[in-house]
Amino acid sequence: MKKRGLHAFTTVALAASLFVSACSGGSGSQNTAPSGETPQQQSPSGEQVVLEMHSWRVEDVAGYEKIIQAFEKENPGIKINFKPFKATEYNTILNTALQSDSGPDILQLRPYATGIALADAGYLEPLDGVKGLEQFPKDFLAASTGKDGKVYGVPLSINSTQIYYNKDLFEQNGLQEPKSWDELIQVSKTLKEKGITPFAFGSKEGWLLSLSHGVIAPGAYNGNGFVEKLLKGETNLTSPEFLLSVQRMKELTTYFPENFTGLELTDLRALFATGKAAMFINGSFELEGIRQLNPDLKIDFFPMPTDDGKQVITTWVDGSYGVNAKSKHKAEALKFMEFMTTKTFGEIFANELKRISAVPGVQSSDPLVNKMAELAQSSATPYLMVVHLSQGNPTTKVTLETSLQALYLDQLTPEQVTQEVEKSAETWFAPLKK
Amino acid sequence: MAKSKRSWLIHLFPLPALILYVMFVLYPLFSAFSYSLYDWKGIAKGAFVGLENFTTLFTKEPFNEMFWRAIQHNLIYFVIEMIVQNGLGFLLAYIIYRKIRGAELLKAAYFLPRLLSVIIVGFLWKLILNPNFGALNTFLGKLGLESWAKPWLGDPDTALYAIILVNCWFGIGFAVLVFLAGLQSIPAELIEAARLDGANRLRLLRSVVLPLCMPSITIMSVLTFIQAFEAFELVYAMQGSMGEPVYSTDTLAVYFYRLAFGGAGGTDTVAIGLGSALAVVLFLIVASVSAISLYLLRKREVQH
Amino acid sequence: MNTRIGARSLQYLLAYLFVLLSIYPIWLMIVNSFKTTAEIYMDPLGLPATFSFTNYRKLWETVPFADYLTNSILVSVASVILTLIFASLAAFYLARFSFRWNGFLYFFFLLGLMIPIKLGIVPLFLLMKELGLLNSLWSLILLYTGSGIPLSVFILTGFLRTLPIELEEAARIDGCNHFQVFWRILLPLVRPALGTVMIINFISAWNDFFFPLIFIQKDALKTIPIGMLSLFGEYEADWSLLFAGLTLSALPMIIVFLLASKQFMEGLTAGAVK
Repeated sequence: MKKRGLHAFTTVALAASLFVSACSGGSGSQNTAPSGETPQQQSPSGEQVVLEMHSWRVEDVAGYEKIIQAFEKENPGIKINFKPFKATEYNTILNTALQSDSGPDILQLRPYATGIALADAGYLEPLDGVKGLEQFPKDFLAASTGKDGKVYGVPLSINSTQIYYNKDLFEQNGLQEPKSWDELIQVSKTLKEKGITPFAFGSKEGWLLSLSHGVIAPGAYNGNGFVEKLLKGETNLTSPEFLLSVQRMKELTTYFPENFTGLELTDLRALFATGKAAMFINGSFELEGIRQLNPDLKIDFFPMPTDDGKQVITTWVDGSYGVNAKSKHKAEALKFMEFMTTKTFGEIFANELKRISAVPGVQSSDPLVNKMAELAQSSATPYLMVVHLSQGNPTTKVTLETSLQALYLDQLTPEQVTQEVEKSAETWFAPLKK
Repeated sequence: MAKSKRSWLIHLFPLPALILYVMFVLYPLFSAFSYSLYDWKGIAKGAFVGLENFTTLFTKEPFNEMFWRAIQHNLIYFVIEMIVQNGLGFLLAYIIYRKIRGAELLKAAYFLPRLLSVIIVGFLWKLILNPNFGALNTFLGKLGLESWAKPWLGDPDTALYAIILVNCWFGIGFAVLVFLAGLQSIPAELIEAARLDGANRLRLLRSVVLPLCMPSITIMSVLTFIQAFEAFELVYAMQGSMGEPVYSTDTLAVYFYRLAFGGAGGTDTVAIGLGSALAVVLFLIVASVSAISLYLLRKREVQH
Repeated sequence: MNTRIGARSLQYLLAYLFVLLSIYPIWLMIVNSFKTTAEIYMDPLGLPATFSFTNYRKLWETVPFADYLTNSILVSVASVILTLIFASLAAFYLARFSFRWNGFLYFFFLLGLMIPIKLGIVPLFLLMKELGLLNSLWSLILLYTGSGIPLSVFILTGFLRTLPIELEEAARIDGCNHFQVFWRILLPLVRPALGTVMIINFISAWNDFFFPLIFIQKDALKTIPIGMLSLFGEYEADWSLLFAGLTLSALPMIIVFLLASKQFMEGLTAGAVK
């Protein structure tokens, strides 16, 4: 017995040394390369510079490949290594790396407060003098402008949120795009009577609630007038207009699917794509996801009708790309920034990824994307929670999400929701700060 | 104890373990603890502020509110795991101990879930608990109990319990094996003697088996306590970093993740100082409780 | 007598009901991996209309699963072996000698049981950077070894304390030195406890996704859970593919377990509480 034990152990030890050496053989050569660089940089060929580029858009790999190809063709000395991470873990990974003075050369910035915080902490390179930046409207650049007034990111895309609808279901039931809140309710009522779930909606994930509120609310407070007054401190979040926006969120409850408090995005997407639900409040970024699930679905969208008889579409800048202040190849990275302001880039982006490019004047081959882009030009209103109210701890946006969740669980009344949101904003939002 | 032939070489024995452990576990943890004494602007370290972060954590709204709510959930986590995972685990172990056909199969089956990654466990159970086509509600429907069907994970009255029960499902196999080991280490003569004295089964269990199993019960309780107070992955996998709905599944570790990393997708504000302060508090709670119980266990063992 | 039989059948019922409960979700995972996504939505519980391996084929084409598998095996096996060696050396020292500081040292090791090391991720990242171990499997191997040591020392020390000391004394009289006593006499005796330590560390190294997420960014060095996580992001809506991925990532572990389940169990039962 003694012998057998010893034998077993020797085998294990032997295997250990084997594995250990196998490991060092496999990865030892890269051991010396800190993150943010790649071994090719040290390669004898010398001239080629490799830039690491990080993003949270795992679903866009193929599109980015095309973009990068186009860039590399124009800049033969530079190679770009595009690496996406799952959106939910992206910031954890990025923050950890930045805090340790490493990280990618080019990084995707969350829009507004989260991304700007990185700039204010000194982790980003200001983009002064990047050619082409001046063509962007000021409110696009605001998504990545630091406290010092410098711009730290090239705006990538404009997100819009709207109400998607199933064209076949609308036609079969003789329905038209609603032109007012009452018409929207009427449409929902008809659908419900026909046994069709009017809205694919769920309240399990908070971010979908602020997103939906972002679409419904401007209809209640009539778009930009209210936002301007709020920014001047002339009104607040307990005002009748804002209260109405929350009441409307509540009013829709009877048109939601069964057990909607337990539904997540994947459930909603499925409900809409399989034709069980007729309308779906979501973003431009969701279009491809729905189409992939059901390529035959006839899908359209309508912007939100306001009470003063107009239409608005909610927009914000989604992510910009910036340059790591600690990058060893800033000049090359800035070249890529410049490339991102060109029409060439904008067009590949709009056509490959079916999204609205932030580059002015870029057309997409997709009619729906073009319709969104046109409306974003003519009748945009900001996504209030993301653009102006995404600070505080927890942020005012998160407070709205939690309170709306509580609203749907009958824990809070619409009045209480507005009070919670106002209370949160008063802790940091200058126009409301007491 | 072996006192003879002691050479200085023996002191090299614990060294490799010690070095790796200090370097990769203790050192990073304690440096992270030191972050709690600084003011942070986002992810940039600011001035030394002493215990200010701790004061904020315990006295300022909404931080104190979140803390107490989360710790309450951790306690519920512990209590339910003790009752369901360990209570039921002990019962199953006792059934196996009292001889049952297919004991090997039972042990293997109970342990099987423990092999899965928490990501898989979370994903699978989310599917089973899905309100509209999940297995549980479908099953209830087939039994004619439609009215019992619920959006389990979307209802603040059930979400936390659902997650804890999934955790029990995940951990019960380990508990069964630990208790079984405890049961099998009871000398057979003791049981025989008690039986000859005319003890019935319940009495046998209460006055012979349970007391003699105390070491395994204590160890399992301590491990359960540690696990309950560090509960993170399953909540994160099933409810995200906000402890949704309305913080009803929030725990200390999830709250920490939100503060230290700004939550999933950076949707919330990063507050590394507060997060580290919370980590220190969490460590003090877990370390003191488990150290005391292990100390008491050792003491009792020595007395035996 | 009747109550006796009643109690007995109740025990059987309970015990086997739990078998069902333990296995059902895993069954669900495997069955759904053979369906199409539409089928999963329509009938998530039923059997697939036809068993098709298209999901697995697609998975094999879209992700370098063989790479992930190799990396996972390398990391898990190497870290488990290092943990076994180092922890048993330390446990021998703690259980068989009574130096003044041994009580303290034991508690010092136990401290590591009580804190999730995730809390220290930023300093840990810095450390790995200084050591040049970012984007190297060594970062994971060393980390898993370090973090596996507390529980392993705890279990092995407890187990060693229960072993009679006579055998060793005889060996010492025969002129064996410390290392020989440890190697020849004690290690064979603690095999069951080593089994426990092996299983526990192997499971946690195999399933961890947090650290590879932070330390490993090269595709070719990813481990299974992290590869699956990116798959989750990229094919969020393609449930049938996800189920195939889940099944494939759990399969190696389940196979090893079923093959060695007896050894597994004995190790756990023998080593966990002594």
